[in-house]
Amino acid sequence: MPLEFKHHRLPNGLDILAEINRDSHSFAAGFFVKTGSRDETEQIHGVSHFLEHMMFKGSEKYTWQDVNRMFDEIGARYNAFTSQEMTCYYANVLPEYTDRVLDHLAHLLRPAIRQADFDTEKNVILEEIAMYLDDPGHRLYEALMQTHFDDHPLARSVLGSPESIRGLTRSQMAEYFSRRYGPGNMVLAVAGQMDFGEVVDLVGRYCGDWPAVDARRDAVAPRLEARRRTLPDSRLNRQYTMGMTPAPSAQDERRFAARVLADVIGDSDGSRFYWALVDKAIAEDADFGFYPHDGCGSFYLALTCAPQNAKQALNIALAELQRVKDDLAEDEVERARNKIASSIVLSGELPLGRMRAIGSQWIYCGEYRSLEQDMESLQSVSADSLRDLMREFPFEPMTIVSMGPESLSL
Amino acid sequence: MSDPFFQSTFANGLVLAAERIPGMHSAAMTLLVPAGSSGDPETIAGSATVLADLILRGAGSRDNRSLTEHLDSLGLQRSSSAGVYHLRLSAAAPAENVMAGLEAFADVVRRPRLPADGFEAARELTRQSLAGIEDEPRQKLSVALREVYFPWPLGRNPLGTFQTLDAMTLQAVREDHRRRFVPRGAIFAFAGKLDFDRLHDRIGALFGDWPDSSPPELKPVPSQRKWLFIPQKSEQTHIGLAWPTVDETHEDSYVARLACDILGGGMSSRLFSEVRERRALCYAVSVGYASLKGLGCFMGYAGSSNDRAQATLDCILEETRRLANGVTADELQRAKVGLKANTIMSGESTSARASAVAHDVFLRGRIRSIDEIKQSIDAVTLDRINAFVASASSIRPTVVVLGPRELRYPDFPG
Repeated sequence: MPLEFKHHRLPNGLDILAEINRDSHSFAAGFFVKTGSRDETEQIHGVSHFLEHMMFKGSEKYTWQDVNRMFDEIGARYNAFTSQEMTCYYANVLPEYTDRVLDHLAHLLRPAIRQADFDTEKNVILEEIAMYLDDPGHRLYEALMQTHFDDHPLARSVLGSPESIRGLTRSQMAEYFSRRYGPGNMVLAVAGQMDFGEVVDLVGRYCGDWPAVDARRDAVAPRLEARRRTLPDSRLNRQYTMGMTPAPSAQDERRFAARVLADVIGDSDGSRFYWALVDKAIAEDADFGFYPHDGCGSFYLALTCAPQNAKQALNIALAELQRVKDDLAEDEVERARNKIASSIVLSGELPLGRMRAIGSQWIYCGEYRSLEQDMESLQSVSADSLRDLMREFPFEPMTIVSMGPESLSL
Repeated sequence: MSDPFFQSTFANGLVLAAERIPGMHSAAMTLLVPAGSSGDPETIAGSATVLADLILRGAGSRDNRSLTEHLDSLGLQRSSSAGVYHLRLSAAAPAENVMAGLEAFADVVRRPRLPADGFEAARELTRQSLAGIEDEPRQKLSVALREVYFPWPLGRNPLGTFQTLDAMTLQAVREDHRRRFVPRGAIFAFAGKLDFDRLHDRIGALFGDWPDSSPPELKPVPSQRKWLFIPQKSEQTHIGLAWPTVDETHEDSYVARLACDILGGGMSSRLFSEVRERRALCYAVSVGYASLKGLGCFMGYAGSSNDRAQATLDCILEETRRLANGVTADELQRAKVGLKANTIMSGESTSARASAVAHDVFLRGRIRSIDEIKQSIDAVTLDRINAFVASASSIRPTVVVLGPRELRYPDFPG
């Protein structure tokens, strides 16, 4: 499965990245825009995600009915997502629809933002916010980000609040769009079966007249301390606890070591948390993971258990984080590496997986990395590199948030 | 090109089925053992879920920890769960690692240690999952809809109840394992980079002497209930619907699937356009086709603010009735293109293909190629689908509502 990388920059500055796989049966394309809730102000909180919805409401030429129909006509698997730092619009189609899918995506990225659609879609956003309120894991995650990052823009929820969404105006959204959505702040990533020359011609035709933008991101470092917060909720049956502590950023070379370390500590099978907590049924879920952000990063822990076990589970998890610094063994590092290597091979076989990987890599680091390079970086991680990492990121300070029937003393 | 499919039945009844996919480095396996949750003994319902955990806590010469470490060292991405008819074990990794893991999986299925302390932990984790459902209204709704709609015990919650979990003993679970972990009715499916001869020899060596025995037969009892309201202090009202239709082996199964997609599949579907896009009554609304053996159905879901939930339910029922007036040629064309594209693109994942191969062999006794599926889709004409929706749309669905206030269901007042 030889994957071939190509890059072309249009005169207006739009970067086109391609990873060609001649064995593939499909073509995936995605626009990655370097914008998200951390680029908002209080006044326009939630605009990034709301705008993502409005992109599907049509350009000057098309209505929302047209957009939905056109993507379905080519059998596209398509969607969009918004995070704190990135908004992505993507589609996966059979190669015969390369032209049409690029045309449709290009129209998506030039929205009309009609007032009537804006007013209707506001209600869908409010429903989405309500939906997530019925999901304790999501509620706790938002509370964790808010508590951990405090006055830093990463603290802001992606969805916004019902109040901020109700207060948003069409002109605020249009202004945000014109500042953030243009070459210079976005990239088009494509992967799978394709003729790259054809892709470049088509994108030039569809996107060549887009004006570049000079978008910046406030790169101020977060002020972190060991914050604690309990969110009593008598409606819940289980106790949900999360913690967050600094880790390498998305640009940091040590991010591969961070991923391996997170798996050693808290993968769903065979990790330290698994043996200490899940195997013994003290907690039903005990994860430790790595979230790289732009310019900073986080490790997080997440525990779900019976309320009466919550304190014990948290203490065991925190003790494991200390113990691993002293008795980390080479064989557990090797197992974690092998598991990650498998997931790299499996996702490399899917155009959608590679499109996402190269697009976000470019947004964060401005460079392409091949599967082989990722594999090499992964294989070079040893127990020593994890020990070095833990000296620099010693799981302190740690923010801890707990939600459930128990008012946990943290 | 040589035949991409391979299928063989061993003397003890175990079926091996495989698909070779060019260009892949990985392989995936799905092993179905006839020990699904619907076959759980009534008094210890939940035993298949407990076994799905317990069989991995040590097997053959390896104890709990060394078994997990062995599978991890091969980098196997794996899962183990209780389905309706089968207990399912799956794994994916670079092909040679999947082959290297087979010997351990043979131990897991045939020679699990089923230790006492592991049993207590597996049962406790199942209890915890059961308690966790209460915190997730959408999941709670889905469990309730399956229980109300499907013939008993096919729709029974695979986690069992607190009562059956309390009644469960290690001895009963060991006995259940002995009775239902048998080769007749078991299917071992693979997809990806494969050498069929080598695979056949290896499976023969590891499973060929598994003593032949059949699992107990099921006698499901149809459900009579059409309406259920579950009071819950939730932010949204959650609505689940289920309509009976033809099963997957029926000649009209692709007619049904396409009708389902037109009603509530993609973003240009009737329900998405009307309920979400035009009226903004909810964020999530969809209908999907699901099939058990001999039983097809459409299953729908919508979540809506409590004050708009009635309008959402009314709108869904109205759109469903309206489908009887017929679909357009454009709608049919879109649904066909979508279903074909989805079939082809799913073929790019070895895990998805291994799972599809196992499913085909279970329901049809053979593997269908992607071309054959495309032909079945192409064979659906506008006349056929319109005749289908004219009769299907008059069927009243089973409805389950979960939320703070009961809704009105005109035909079946609560």
